[in-house]
Amino acid sequence: MDQCKLIFAGPVGVGKTTAVAALCHGRLLTTEEDASDVTRLHKDTTTVAFDYGVIDLDGGDRLHVYGLPGQKRFDFMWEILAKDSLGLILLLDNSRSSPCADLKFYVDAFRGFIEQTGLVVGVTRTDSHPLPVLDTYRASLAALGFKSCPVFEVDPRMRENVVMMVQALLYQLAPELAG
Amino acid sequence: MRQEAFTSVLDELNGSSADIEASAVISTDGLMMASLLPVGLDEDRVGAMSAAMLSLGGRIAKELSRGDLEQVLVKGEAGYVLMTSAGQDAVLSVIAKPQARLGLILLDVKRAAEAIKNAL
Ligand SMILES: Nc1nc2c(ncn2[C@@H]2O[C@H](COP(=O)(O)OP(=O)(O)O)[C@@H](O)[C@H]2O)c(=O)[nH]1
Ligand SMILES: [Mg+2]
Repeated sequence: MDQCKLIFAGPVGVGKTTAVAALCHGRLLTTEEDASDVTRLHKDTTTVAFDYGVIDLDGGDRLHVYGLPGQKRFDFMWEILAKDSLGLILLLDNSRSSPCADLKFYVDAFRGFIEQTGLVVGVTRTDSHPLPVLDTYRASLAALGFKSCPVFEVDPRMRENVVMMVQALLYQLAPELAG
Repeated sequence: MRQEAFTSVLDELNGSSADIEASAVISTDGLMMASLLPVGLDEDRVGAMSAAMLSLGGRIAKELSRGDLEQVLVKGEAGYVLMTSAGQDAVLSVIAKPQARLGLILLDVKRAAEAIKNAL
């Protein structure tokens, strides 16, 4: 493995663009455009194609990282970007009305892909919204058939939190690669 | 109303050439603002795809020092898709037949994009 790729998905405003930026030390390609739909309630701009960054892994490998657009109407981009990637880091926002429904929506949308690859879940905004607790997500994941999927509380602005999810995903795929 | 203004621009554009099959005005974040599309097309998807293409087109134009993006052209065996910036916040998408005379269509599209920009 010398070039590999992984993707970040999740609802609007959960912190996908923030996570890719943190991981790549702010050196990223974004496709942010002014939001005109309900996205505006969360933030002023939204990702319409993808966020992209690249980092060098310890072993000399390069990891290409893509943040997907959140809204369903961009699901054709999900398909394009998931192709040939190592796995999915799914971010969920604890401040949304039903984050477990979001979990089910994205797991179902990416099911074929993550069954072949790997899945890690990160829950954001637990600082302001402590509920649901991680065990609730674990139970939902088990019900969806992903019992051993790692789940973390993360703040996507903190690089070490994002690195932790990436390492968990790499470890899941090939324990000898994670270092 | 803004939507009526857009629709009348699209009406005129589609009427200007028999080679133009359909057209739409889309927000830069991918939502349909007005459209004269064939039935059966998924407007949400067409809107999102246009927005993604135009955004990436803008990025590559900048990366390769081509300045602000004006247009993205897609040519398939069965015809053209032309996406044109209409001001800061909108995209004009046009579908044309394979034998279309592109020069003429480009002129009409440019005029329509200007009209949409002014109606925004
Ligand atoms: N307080 C707090 N803010 C967060 C957290 N996660 C994300 N954010 C903020 O939420 C916004 C997320 O925006 P963005 O990354 O564009 O979301 P995207 O739609 O998923 O790409 C940013 O302003 C982040 O700083 C979190 O855990 N705590
Ligand atoms: Mg984003």
